[in-house]
Amino acid sequence: MMKENIDDLKNILDKEFEDFKSAVKKVETLSGLENIENRFLGKKSLVSEYLKNMGTLSNEFKPIAGKTINDMRRKISERLSALKEEISLLEFDKKLRNEKYDISLPGRKIKTGSKNILNQIIEEIEEFFIGLGYEIAEGPEIETDYYNFEALNHPPDHPARSLHDTFFIDENILLRTHTSPVQIRYMEKHKPPVYVIAPGKTYRKDYDVTHTPMFTQIEGLAVDKDINFGNFKWTLETFVHAIFGRDRKIRFRPHYFPFTEPSAEVDVSCNMCKGSGCRICSYSGWLEILGAGMVDPNLYKFVDYNPEEVNGFAFGIGIERIAMLKYGINDLRMFFENDLRFLNQF
Amino acid sequence: MKITYNWLKEFIENLENISPAEIAEKLTMSGTEVKKVYYLGENFKNLIIGRILSYEKHPNADKLSLCNVDIGKNLLNIVCGAKNFKDNDIVVVALEGAKIQDFVIKKSKIRGIFSEGMMCSEKELGISDESDGIMILNDSFKIGEDFASQAGLDDWVFELEITPNRPDCLSVAGIAREISALTGLKLKKQDYVSRYIVNKDEKLIIDIRDYDLCPRYSAKIFKSNDYPDTPLWMKNRLMQCDIRSVGLLVDLTNYVMLESGQPLHAFDLNKLYSRKIIIRKAKKEEKLLLIDGSEKILDENDLVIADEKGPVALAGIMGGKDTEINEETKEILLESANFNGVSIMKTSKKMGFRSEASNRFEKKLDPENTINAIGRFEELLCKICNIKSENTFYDNYLNAKRRRSIDLRVKRLNDFLGTGITAEKISEILNLLGFENNMGKEIITVEVPSFRFEDIEREVDLIEEVARIYGFDNIPVQTPRTVAKQGRYTDEQKLVRKIRNILNGMGLNEVINYSFIGKKDLLMFYLDKENDYKDYVKIINPLNEDFEIMRTSLIQSLVRNAKDNIFKKLNNIAIFEISKVFKSVKIDEKKKSIEKNTLGILLSGKSSLKSWDMQEKYFDYFDIKGLAESLLDIFYERNDFLVREHEYCFFHPSISGDIMLKNKKLGVIGKLHPKIINTLDIKQDIYLAEIDLDIFIDNISKEKEFRQISSFPPVNIDMAFIVDEEVKCQDIENEIILSAGRNLQNIRLFDLYRGKQLEDNKKSLAFSLEFNAIDKTLNEKDIELLIKKISGKLSKKFKAILRDQ
Ligand SMILES: [Zn+2]
Repeated sequence: MMKENIDDLKNILDKEFEDFKSAVKKVETLSGLENIENRFLGKKSLVSEYLKNMGTLSNEFKPIAGKTINDMRRKISERLSALKEEISLLEFDKKLRNEKYDISLPGRKIKTGSKNILNQIIEEIEEFFIGLGYEIAEGPEIETDYYNFEALNHPPDHPARSLHDTFFIDENILLRTHTSPVQIRYMEKHKPPVYVIAPGKTYRKDYDVTHTPMFTQIEGLAVDKDINFGNFKWTLETFVHAIFGRDRKIRFRPHYFPFTEPSAEVDVSCNMCKGSGCRICSYSGWLEILGAGMVDPNLYKFVDYNPEEVNGFAFGIGIERIAMLKYGINDLRMFFENDLRFLNQF
Repeated sequence: MKITYNWLKEFIENLENISPAEIAEKLTMSGTEVKKVYYLGENFKNLIIGRILSYEKHPNADKLSLCNVDIGKNLLNIVCGAKNFKDNDIVVVALEGAKIQDFVIKKSKIRGIFSEGMMCSEKELGISDESDGIMILNDSFKIGEDFASQAGLDDWVFELEITPNRPDCLSVAGIAREISALTGLKLKKQDYVSRYIVNKDEKLIIDIRDYDLCPRYSAKIFKSNDYPDTPLWMKNRLMQCDIRSVGLLVDLTNYVMLESGQPLHAFDLNKLYSRKIIIRKAKKEEKLLLIDGSEKILDENDLVIADEKGPVALAGIMGGKDTEINEETKEILLESANFNGVSIMKTSKKMGFRSEASNRFEKKLDPENTINAIGRFEELLCKICNIKSENTFYDNYLNAKRRRSIDLRVKRLNDFLGTGITAEKISEILNLLGFENNMGKEIITVEVPSFRFEDIEREVDLIEEVARIYGFDNIPVQTPRTVAKQGRYTDEQKLVRKIRNILNGMGLNEVINYSFIGKKDLLMFYLDKENDYKDYVKIINPLNEDFEIMRTSLIQSLVRNAKDNIFKKLNNIAIFEISKVFKSVKIDEKKKSIEKNTLGILLSGKSSLKSWDMQEKYFDYFDIKGLAESLLDIFYERNDFLVREHEYCFFHPSISGDIMLKNKKLGVIGKLHPKIINTLDIKQDIYLAEIDLDIFIDNISKEKEFRQISSFPPVNIDMAFIVDEEVKCQDIENEIILSAGRNLQNIRLFDLYRGKQLEDNKKSLAFSLEFNAIDKTLNEKDIELLIKKISGKLSKKFKAILRDQ
């Protein structure tokens, strides 16, 4: 029976709480916690017993005792629910940790394909020239003699024609030997300023270690007022630095092409030997990468431009050659063999 | 072309002050590319001039001699197998370390006797083919001296590449002129033109029938009772220039050609039928036996040199056998002529034969040069044979005007190049190049010399000359003014590149193949039987028969790639190609070729390999179809395209169809015919699709419109229909889409069942449908109505029975 003394009640309850505290100290599982809850808040617990017997207390003491017991009950209950959350988190964590998972097993990869190396280089070059304000033009691969030769200053019987071993469809129709005809077609349709590059397949009757009967070119053309040789040098120098890196040296060597005057072959310093000479550059320290020049004014006659009003320059780049130099590919024929091990490398 | 440093020195004063490497650099950077420059003496080390003091028979071998040879510093014992020497003969001795025909000489015992060197033949030295005995030198060679320096081998060789516009540089004299312009060093003038007069007697008559084909024919008769051997220095120079020594007269014609650029030919005068030389077109079927022993049947397009009996030489290309000079020849007719380049090129092309001479004539030579060659020939011959020179020659020359004057604007030149070169500097450069000019402040009037008449016609040609001598490197780099244009791809170009990227992302490798195939490839794929593929464009001069047809489809090329890889045990293949195909069409009775951008896709082998948690899977038809559908899905609406059965000879007859886009044929899809697989001897299935990219891209709508997204929950229902086996799934699906209306968001076939629960020849198609309305939540009644509508339509059209859920 409860004595109607608040200090006694408090003492008893404080002792009960001390017992509770020492009981939960050791508890680690939810079921253990349930036992404790039973012991301290269950039907047979001290707190429950006291509350059950509240009716026997005096009216003065009842509210004070009730409040004190209920405070204690709430205290225990709050503590228990906090512990419950804590322990269930711990148990959840333990359960997760017990799941066996070898994350070093190989993942399910998605096979990706590859863009052909030649198209990668073409796109790289296209992006460079688009940045300078150029457009991309395309044209037929089966061409007429007029566009492939005549309008490019190769009249019939011109000795320079022998430099091109041409595939013919008939006397006047042929497989283009360069992409320059695209430029003539473009100029026929557009007045200056003209800034255009023409990528595409070209054909020459040649098949050995250094020639395939089909190969890929980008030819470029700029025609505008006030274009001079210095601008031509700037454009190609900037191009070479963009493709091969700023540390490469570049030189313009006078040459001959029927549709440019003056004409130049452009060499880039050999990366293998840094210019001192090796097998790759045939001991010259230089690698030839493109042919170019100022547009021969004769060409303007074919497209109705006035050579006194505009100047221009043109250039032709062999894509396979750029790829070979950039990646050290040593056999030209690999580009068209399409071995999966080759394709997957790029 | 090759020339040597010492040879150039004969033409340029003080050239020894400039090193061969420096000359090479200057030539290369002015347009005459020097491919190689090398020192000759490297190959002639440890070769010493010696004198045979005495010799005796080798004690142990009858055929060998034991010689006592004086090489200045000491005497050597040398064992020798040759017999052609006597006491006091001067010979070349190869000492220890010398390299003879890739064999390094060492002191060695020959039949028990020590030999301290070797006496060399011309062949062993690489000078000629003469291997009959050792080389005996004349007494101008000094005992104990280095053979290389004594024989003119202490020299450098330049290997040059001459561009086709510069025939004047196909000679020592021409290159000397370039070097003089590049260095400012003076040329040593060799003036025959003013010294020689035309012989008007009628001992030789030159009859040119067509000055267009032969603008000039100069000639001279030489006579000597004795023609000695070609001097060693000349033999050596010819050897350095890759010309074999064959005897004095022919060697001289070659030597003078290399030096002056003018080809020469020597006839045996006494073998000519008449003293009248006719330069004419050949008659049809006329025959000529050439020096190389081949008999040519000529026609009116060939230019010949003839006497009054018949042709004696193919002009500019090769002489005739009947008038060839030999050891008995005493009197020669030397021809120094100028022929039409185009005519020579055509004949030499037809004969499939090019010579040093024809190569030069093709590029159009300067007719003014004929006298120089005759003069130089005479000078050398007279010295060697010790005969008197006459300074006369026979000549027939139309003497067409080969003078041209061009005005060069100083401002124009500088505007064009972006330079500030003064008129004085321009004038100086032109002078150095042999262009006389009259310098004004603004305009320089330039006289084009005869030797540049063919290639300098316009102001811009002169600008090029000035630019290359001034040096491209000296022209300053200048940033162009801003381009007033936006650089860009066209929409079509963007789409092609996008498609390429998408296919890469889908796991396909991009291949590029030759545009040509062989006839047999066409036949192997039965393309000759297919209207869309049979009309091909043919190359009339293909590399070989595997490269003679422009492909009308990418399929054969892709299959070839598959085969090549499978043969290398690379069996799992997913590739595509975007290239043009070519077809021949008839437009107004005329054959024309058309080009179409085409996408080809090939799948073969495994799509996924067996791994620790997955089964392996092989590609099949639904992989290639799914790939095509996924690609189309990106650009088109779901009901814009479908696959329709269509049999192609190259596809499996049951797995062969057309890809239709908006009711037009876009391409083909199917499984490669097993017959073709067998022929190719590959043991795996191949799936293919080919799409006309032009149609694909043209039909893509430019604007895409946003479709509102419903904020109400979707409703998913499954419907299964039992239909006859003949009913196509595609048709059922289309009908569902049509009758379901705009609220149908997705439709997916999730089950196909044939079997016990169904009658024979029936199948069950189960679809999962997702409905969603934009303006409300669809209720049970709405769905019920839809189901009723769909099943009603299907039952009517296909006798489809809706299965209970
Ligand atoms: Zn190198």
